[in-house]
Amino acid sequence: MTIQHPGSAEELAHCLGEADREGLAVLPRGGGRAFGMGDVPERSDLIIETGGLNRLVERSQHDLTVTVEAGMTLEALSTVLAETGQFLPLDPYNGPGHTVGGALASGWTGPLRQGYGTPRDFLIGLRFVLPDGRRVHSGGRVVKNVSGYDLKKLHLGALGSLGIIVEASFKVFPRPAAESTLRRNASSLEAAWAEAGRALASPQPPVALEASASSAGIELVARLAGWPRAIERMESELGWEKVSNDYWDTLSQANSPSWARISVPPAALMETAAHLPREGWSASVGVGSIQWFGASQPEQVREVRARAEAAGGHLVLLAAPDGLKAAVGAWGQPSPSAALMARVREAYDPRRTMAPGRFVI
Amino acid sequence: MSSNGDPIHNRPPPHRPFEEGGVKGAALMALPPALTSELRQIVGDPNVIDGANDLRLFERDASISAAIPDAVVLPGSRDEVVAVMKLAARHHLPVVARGAATGLSGGAIALQHGIALQLSRMRRIISFEAGNASVLLEPGVVNADLQRAAARRRRFYAPDPSSQNACTLGGNVAENSGGPHCLYYGVTANHILGVEVVLAGGEVVWLGDESPDQMGLDLLGAMVGSEGTLGVVTRIRARLLPLPESVVTIMAAFPTIEDASQAVSAVIGGGVIPVALEMMDQVTIGAVEAHYRAGYPTDAGAVLLAEIHGIRESTDDVAPVIEAQLRQHGASQLRVAGDAAERELLWAGRKGAIGALGHIKPNYYLHDGVVPRTRLPGVLEQVGEIARDHHLPVANVFHAGDGNLHPNILFDLRERGVMERVESAGEEMMRAVVEAGGTLSGEHGIGVEKNTFMPWIFSPDDLDAMHILKNTLDPEGRLNPGKIFPDPNQAPRLAARAGVAKEATWW
Repeated sequence: MTIQHPGSAEELAHCLGEADREGLAVLPRGGGRAFGMGDVPERSDLIIETGGLNRLVERSQHDLTVTVEAGMTLEALSTVLAETGQFLPLDPYNGPGHTVGGALASGWTGPLRQGYGTPRDFLIGLRFVLPDGRRVHSGGRVVKNVSGYDLKKLHLGALGSLGIIVEASFKVFPRPAAESTLRRNASSLEAAWAEAGRALASPQPPVALEASASSAGIELVARLAGWPRAIERMESELGWEKVSNDYWDTLSQANSPSWARISVPPAALMETAAHLPREGWSASVGVGSIQWFGASQPEQVREVRARAEAAGGHLVLLAAPDGLKAAVGAWGQPSPSAALMARVREAYDPRRTMAPGRFVI
Repeated sequence: MSSNGDPIHNRPPPHRPFEEGGVKGAALMALPPALTSELRQIVGDPNVIDGANDLRLFERDASISAAIPDAVVLPGSRDEVVAVMKLAARHHLPVVARGAATGLSGGAIALQHGIALQLSRMRRIISFEAGNASVLLEPGVVNADLQRAAARRRRFYAPDPSSQNACTLGGNVAENSGGPHCLYYGVTANHILGVEVVLAGGEVVWLGDESPDQMGLDLLGAMVGSEGTLGVVTRIRARLLPLPESVVTIMAAFPTIEDASQAVSAVIGGGVIPVALEMMDQVTIGAVEAHYRAGYPTDAGAVLLAEIHGIRESTDDVAPVIEAQLRQHGASQLRVAGDAAERELLWAGRKGAIGALGHIKPNYYLHDGVVPRTRLPGVLEQVGEIARDHHLPVANVFHAGDGNLHPNILFDLRERGVMERVESAGEEMMRAVVEAGGTLSGEHGIGVEKNTFMPWIFSPDDLDAMHILKNTLDPEGRLNPGKIFPDPNQAPRLAARAGVAKEATWW
């Protein structure tokens, strides 16, 4: 396996186009934080790293927009935005070190998704390289745009199956005037979910709400963001214990060598969690997703996956030993529109250059 | 798009601005009787319209384009849509889905004739789901009807186009519509959780997972805003949000648009994102006041409407911050709506502004472009100059917070040769938008209005990447043909003569 480290989008495009013509199988890699996601590729001849594309292209404080190259890390972007009191609400697990492009391609999100949505909601422009080496853009640097097909959304969570992301523009957010982190311990899942439901139904819901399991029970942690008096009111209405905001930095580093993401409709989340072991997971209660850090036993993974799929969701391995991937598969039951997705993928990557066999379709 | 030698692709040039008079050959385009009788068997006799005079009712949308379909078909169910699509596929007929036809870019015009699929009979709100967090409905549901049904459950659907009393959710999905409150809440694409789509060949797919984290490709994201060129949406799952505890609406009058624009940038750059920041210029204010008496000061150069939502403590704290910024940037008069009635009146003026402009001239051409919001003052100045050069009045009413401008050229169609000036002025305005780093459309779509301009912002490779998707889903190019993509046979306009805009190349 060869590794290429292009220093610009032009170089990367050249590199990918050449590989495509030579019939090589290419794996794009950013920070490598999500590199274990998906099935083991059928072929892998060349890794193209995006780390050399790490420049700030443009920021506009008063437009609340920023454009960066795909190899910039989320931390570096965060530092840039902090200078003007802004931030990008993208906080995937297994940080630090995610690149912008990697986070977009993997589709990984974190607890802040509860309050701010996903990159689908705040990505405004994307430059990418098609497998044949052509450089293409979708969207732009304005916050509202319906000019042509919204191709950029196809690349979110596509795990590089349609090409390589080289640059992204975002709508960013002003840092909240005040933030607060609250904790509540619950003795049972039912008690935890009831309390979480109360928080989510409040007039200003938390921007993140995680339930995690440990031997002591279920710990609920909420993140409040907004104007100071609003935060004070929410703190007093919830009546939870105030803890340090550092909780979120620690959580964003959580990972595991054998790790699954379970996604179900939020109403089915508690029932799904009930079938997990008593520790080793963290659930975004309002979102409907669970990071299961102890997904290592094939039988157990199969059983939880079957339940998630029966509830209208899925279980995807985000990292796992090859043996587990071979035993249960990284993806499980594909979506009913998978056949159509496969046609679209084939149209963009007819030579099966992009990590063949790794993605769900 | 494929041009495969099929007769439908070889019809006369279809684009017809409306001053040219009626389509004289409409009757010649009629479908063979066997075909219309098959359509009648599918949807029932009264639900096929093919009389020459009746068809003229379906000639237009709210743009300046027009074309007459061969037949209008009103399906009552998904299965009827499937049957019509299969029939159209067998006969290689174009199909154009149509809702309320309030679109401003010609999206609902049957440019290459064929079947207009009028979806207004499919207007059931099927069910509220997940504790009213979402709603499942048919595409013919009118936006305002959904708002009313949601309000009874203390919920609302965020995208609120100004045409919301007529426009349908299906149309909103096709165009990825916006509205004043999209500044904070986002556009249609941010609120659609899933759609059922009938593809060109009649195949039915559901796009969008019920769980988070779409597994596979986000085809839902590509379908929303595809202007009916990739499939016909027959069912929609939309997100509903809880009504805010507190709403504050502020009206501020400024001496000039420039001052108001600076105020907009100051508010947003200062760390506050109101849910709406809407602006009207002096021409609009005058027309609106004559009609609605919304209480806008008619001597002002610009009126800004700002709205914030949140819990009471939040709006109480934020309102004074916004007011201070508006004053600091020259707001001469400032009024906070005292109650819901006053707020609705302030909004009625804004949402009814386009209609009110009919007091000035009987016809309008409403444009849509987006620039980075800091570029608004400069672009608006250029828009004014262009209008003056062409001796046309222009009214500006727009989503200032998003940088989404809507220059509205006012004219009287009876004036000889006026359309040429209107089109030239519009084109120059769009050019100014693009040269300021902007885009061709923020919420109205490309349609047939701006497809010629697409090469201003997209390279041939960019457009080809879109074509790959189009060709995969609609290889015959029968779904809403002639829209979005530049037509190579269309006469070259200013775009081609002047080449790609200089600053547009940065993307």
